[in-house]
Amino acid sequence: MKFKLLRIVLTLLLMTAFCLSAIPAYANKITIVTTLTDLADLARAIGGDLVEVHSLATGVEDTHGVPMKPSFVPVMNRADLLILVGLDCEHAFLPALMEASKNPRIQKGNPGYVDCSKGVVPRDVPKSTDHSEGDVHPYGNPHYMLDPVLAKTALSNIFNAMATVAPQYIAEFTSNRDAYLATLNAKIAQWETKAKVLKGVKFVSYHEHWPYFAERFGMNYFGTIELKPGIDPTARHIEELTAAMKAQHVTIVVREPQFPEKTPKRIAEQTGATLVTLPIMPGGVPNTETYIKMMDYIVNTMVAAVQAGK
Amino acid sequence: MATFRIFIMLSALFLTASLSYGADLDERLKALEEVSKQQQKVIEEQQRLIEGLKQDLNKLQAGEPQKSTETQVLELKEKVDQVAEAQTRTIPSVFNPAIGFVGEAVFSYRSKGASLTGSSRPGGFDAFARSVELNAAASVDPFAKAYIVANASADAATGEATFSIEEAALQTESLPGNLTVKAGRFFGEFGRLAYIHDHELPFVNRPLVLAQYIGGESRTDGVQLNWLVPIEHYVSLTVGAGNQFGGDVPPNNVGDFRRAGGLNYWGRLSSYVDITPDISLEPGVSGLWNPKTVDRGGSFTQPDGSTLSERERRLTGVDLTLSYKPLRDNQFTSIIWGTEVLYSHNRYDEVNSDGLAFSRDIGSYGLYSYLAYKFHRQWSAGFLYGFVEDAQDNTARTYEYSPFITWSLSHWNQLRLQYTYTNHNAVSGLRPDNAVYLQWAWIIGAHSHGWQQR
Repeated sequence: MKFKLLRIVLTLLLMTAFCLSAIPAYANKITIVTTLTDLADLARAIGGDLVEVHSLATGVEDTHGVPMKPSFVPVMNRADLLILVGLDCEHAFLPALMEASKNPRIQKGNPGYVDCSKGVVPRDVPKSTDHSEGDVHPYGNPHYMLDPVLAKTALSNIFNAMATVAPQYIAEFTSNRDAYLATLNAKIAQWETKAKVLKGVKFVSYHEHWPYFAERFGMNYFGTIELKPGIDPTARHIEELTAAMKAQHVTIVVREPQFPEKTPKRIAEQTGATLVTLPIMPGGVPNTETYIKMMDYIVNTMVAAVQAGK
Repeated sequence: MATFRIFIMLSALFLTASLSYGADLDERLKALEEVSKQQQKVIEEQQRLIEGLKQDLNKLQAGEPQKSTETQVLELKEKVDQVAEAQTRTIPSVFNPAIGFVGEAVFSYRSKGASLTGSSRPGGFDAFARSVELNAAASVDPFAKAYIVANASADAATGEATFSIEEAALQTESLPGNLTVKAGRFFGEFGRLAYIHDHELPFVNRPLVLAQYIGGESRTDGVQLNWLVPIEHYVSLTVGAGNQFGGDVPPNNVGDFRRAGGLNYWGRLSSYVDITPDISLEPGVSGLWNPKTVDRGGSFTQPDGSTLSERERRLTGVDLTLSYKPLRDNQFTSIIWGTEVLYSHNRYDEVNSDGLAFSRDIGSYGLYSYLAYKFHRQWSAGFLYGFVEDAQDNTARTYEYSPFITWSLSHWNQLRLQYTYTNHNAVSGLRPDNAVYLQWAWIIGAHSHGWQQR
């Protein structure tokens, strides 16, 4: 009797699963999940009203430390596209979430898996992935979105993915993308003009977020407060960094808002450098809700720091 | 004589001039030859260019399209992409399958001997290489992945390493209907911490209630089905069946013929609620049932002289995890409160001291509750409280109190210091014990951030 009941319950559960999974979870809009807020902004810019975009990060998190919330799973389960930074940026939370989502459309190798790093030539690809070098990214530094020119590569990848899953909207997507590109290109020209004063300026940051930004605007990225990627600084490392900064006239200390202020502030005080807090994705600090606003904020803050130091 | 001298001088002068002129002529001749060679090369180069242009002209006249600058840029970009892709493609092969080792050593001091505490480890000073695990995982094909966890640990009696396969399972990755099937040897999903490896626990030792009612890690040889309920909220349902569950050695009901009633069946329903962006609640309920157990754990002699033989195993559990993880600095600060209550309700064949046999149900319960506070990226501290009634004699009770502090030098290197005071009531026949543990755990090779350890 007990086994008969068990069999009936199991059969009912399976039938319900198949019936419910056949119900379309979304209407006409394309459901997009992005890992970070910059990608969400680009997806919204291309998709407009035709897409429903969810970002796993809200903007204040560390790009490598978005909490692995089960509430992400249902929305990932019904997503048509999963847009990610790639280059192992999301390795701490995304693989497990993807598996838990049970959504074959967004698994690697399928059209719904959109790696925005495709076409980006990565910087700082490590020769070894040995942990003595810290939590290194085996494919290279993944923070290319802080270079607005490389953000255009991400934009292109998102556009291609949207055009693949919804070719009926390609005209709208093209028009939206072109409009956004025109705005972005104008802003890039503006940022490059403003950033002329940044050329050759040396700076340090807490985590290695800024090599692409430094290269784009001609800055000299001197080092990090972290001992190695993901490894907190030791007293000796801070001492050596401080001495080197003084000797090399490093004038700016960048603190990403998800890291504690105490150590960057102390280093800035000891070296006479200017401490600035810069977001690493939209929403990281107030008035940076979009990618362009965020880049505006970063360039303006850097320029102001340099001018204040003169 | 003078005329002869003049003649000789003039002759010498002429000869010198002639020789000098000859050498100059030779140099000029060589230079002319060089110029001629260079001109010949230029003519040949120009001839090749002319030929090339003629060919292009012919192609144009034949209507063959020429590469525009844009096309050439695209081709160049494609080549760069290929180089970049090749660079990334070589990396996964380093870990295919992804292979990692986990090691764990526990150094301890216990104030009482094993006979007085019921521990499998000796009292006094002890160094215990609790486990060295080899983890390997990879996709089998586009439809499934597989993983293996092989474990070697020091035998409590001999000190020799004993090798075992803790997990070796296949898991589907492309079933429709939000379903996943896992089969083989794995940790069955029961409760919140039973299916987590020892070194991943937030404290040194498994709580008493899990050690006693489940037998440690929830290992099973069987099959498990998981269903993500397709609704807006996260609801996960798991059911499974297997030979044994937890610390059952050997598997249950090994004999000539095992009926379905001889297997273990388990299930778990869990959910998740975001109370605020920073605070979340994860509730879960679990059940385990073996309708017909035969000599699982042997016969148990009671204080009154009667003996018990388990005939049906029933275990239910409720768990709740409340987490505070601020979005901005969750890597530096968090507070987790986890609680799990288990109720064991087994049926036994009892033979009393007069030789009379009858059936008897014994209900007992136990719980653990812990609070872990992370106050630095490297540091966290907490407190574990545990309580359990003996499953065969619910009047025998044991309590544990364990403050602990953890220092994570990195993701892969962790030290934990824990003090545990264990108390028993008089019925248990055991003595209170003070123990200090120092656990050192490390990881090398590939590592993953698993769903269970979130």
